[in-house]
Amino acid sequence: MGVKVVPRHGASLKDKLYLPGIAAGMKTTFKHFVKNLKDPSNLRTSQYPEVQPDDITDRYRGVHRLTKREDDSVKCVACYMCATACPAECIAIEAEERTDGQDEKMPKKFTIDLLECVYCGYCVEACPCDAIRMDTGIFSFIGKTREEFVVDKEYLLNNERSKDFSDD
Amino acid sequence: MSSASIIVVIVNILLAVILAVGTTPIMVWWERRVAGFIQDRTGPNRCDIGGFRLGGLIQSFADMLKLVFKEDFLPSYIKYKFFYTISPAIVFFCSFLTFAVIPFADTLVIDGFSYTMQAIPTQLGIMWFLAYAGLATYGIILGGYSSESKFGLLSSIRATAQVVSYEAAMGLSVISMLVTYGTIHLSDMVAFQGQVLFGFLPAWGIIMQPLAAIIFIVTAFAEANRAPFDLAEGESEIVAGYHTEYSAMRFGLFQVGEYAAMSASSAIIVTLFFGGYQIPWLDTAAIQSNIYVVFGAIAISLLMMTFVLTKWMKKHYTWANPDDSRAREGKILIKAFWIMTLVVCGVLVLFITTGLGTNGVNIATAVIQVGTFLLKFFMMSLVFIWVRWTLLRFRYDQLQMLGWKILLPLAILNIFVTATFVVVLGG
Repeated sequence: MGVKVVPRHGASLKDKLYLPGIAAGMKTTFKHFVKNLKDPSNLRTSQYPEVQPDDITDRYRGVHRLTKREDDSVKCVACYMCATACPAECIAIEAEERTDGQDEKMPKKFTIDLLECVYCGYCVEACPCDAIRMDTGIFSFIGKTREEFVVDKEYLLNNERSKDFSDD
Repeated sequence: MSSASIIVVIVNILLAVILAVGTTPIMVWWERRVAGFIQDRTGPNRCDIGGFRLGGLIQSFADMLKLVFKEDFLPSYIKYKFFYTISPAIVFFCSFLTFAVIPFADTLVIDGFSYTMQAIPTQLGIMWFLAYAGLATYGIILGGYSSESKFGLLSSIRATAQVVSYEAAMGLSVISMLVTYGTIHLSDMVAFQGQVLFGFLPAWGIIMQPLAAIIFIVTAFAEANRAPFDLAEGESEIVAGYHTEYSAMRFGLFQVGEYAAMSASSAIIVTLFFGGYQIPWLDTAAIQSNIYVVFGAIAISLLMMTFVLTKWMKKHYTWANPDDSRAREGKILIKAFWIMTLVVCGVLVLFITTGLGTNGVNIATAVIQVGTFLLKFFMMSLVFIWVRWTLLRFRYDQLQMLGWKILLPLAILNIFVTATFVVVLGG
């Protein structure tokens, strides 16, 4: 049995005087202060709106997108699987008959309320056609009214896979 | 009263007001930026007025405006509305009044009349400081007690325990300084510190009485309710302590009072232990006789400082987006700094070439000494901030142990040693 003996501090005279410890601590913080004052470019803070994060992984769940077939028609067949799986009930689909011969159904309306969405990714898991994905890498969606956060089919179709992510 | 005396009095009162209250935004700014740099982050640097952010200083004014315009909320369950209302005022007022006795410069002589460079030329000196510094804690105790909250009450109890633990040691460490200096007047103490020990050491309090200096500085931190002794605030265990129930400008007054107490403590530490307005090896008479050399030295050092500052600004005072209005600020500020420096240097050169009368030399000496005092004062405030972002908060019982078992016996021992020295040396 390996027993790790943790050293107890505070018994020696130097520890009890407390002032050497304070001086050592103040030296450390002063070094950081002087280093950062001399060259603030080393600071860990990124100046956010000007400098965007570059460490978003391929598995990051951003704003959704609807994928397309090779002929640029919508891949979704309006099966309602995603809306059923959605725990936040933020997906609203209205189906219509498909006339381009690709399939039987397609969505007439496909809206997602991004204020309701919890970005859990269940819709992506549920989709049998790989028609909905969350790989846009969009992490901040900005709007001034509630209505602007309800995104429609055109917006979702225009979203593309983030260019920072590797090709799938 | 002559017009000169009225001007001197107004200047003194203005200095005290500005140092006690007006420095609060600057202290808040320093606190945030120094904390940021110590922790490898930037601190507030975005808030601007017309593109001017002054290195983040504007954020303090924005926060102040926010506090002024917030709703002044009074909880309905507060029974002692009077105490609740006056307690922030007590903290603020007492911290502010401590500044009244700090000597900003040596006695100023204009047309044969001498003026004491203090806001209130009282004879009480250090006693005034002890009285008002002690009273400021009552604001905290009353505020916590009257806010009818468990957190407030706990904080009041902590503040009370704290005040009885450190005030005794503080008073005793001051007594050893009184024995050393042989006076209670702060201006006489500073005049004493203008001497030179053994031909090369400035006779500053910290060199003559290092133990008293350590005890006083430690207790002054507790006095000003600053870390590591800010257990009355204790945000990790009692929310915000005594100001949990306060909002808007009532809270703002507590905040200003805290910074005023910090300023007052740094001013009194500088006065007692770091020579006050004295420049080492250069007392008032020496400045007056070499006034033009001092002017030259000031002009050269000012030019050098501006050069270094503008060089740093050119390199680092930038904004990532060049189209933003904040990107232009650096160049404008560099120009403004150079213009200010050149104007001051021009005035100094003008004084050197034309020469000054006796009154002029005396006033210039006073201005130089006020500048020296300000420099030391801001350095000491920086130490307060630096310590806050280095040390951990003391536990309730640790502070009392420190106060009663260590600081108090050491202070008494120090008085004995000092008194023996003074008696043996035939003081």
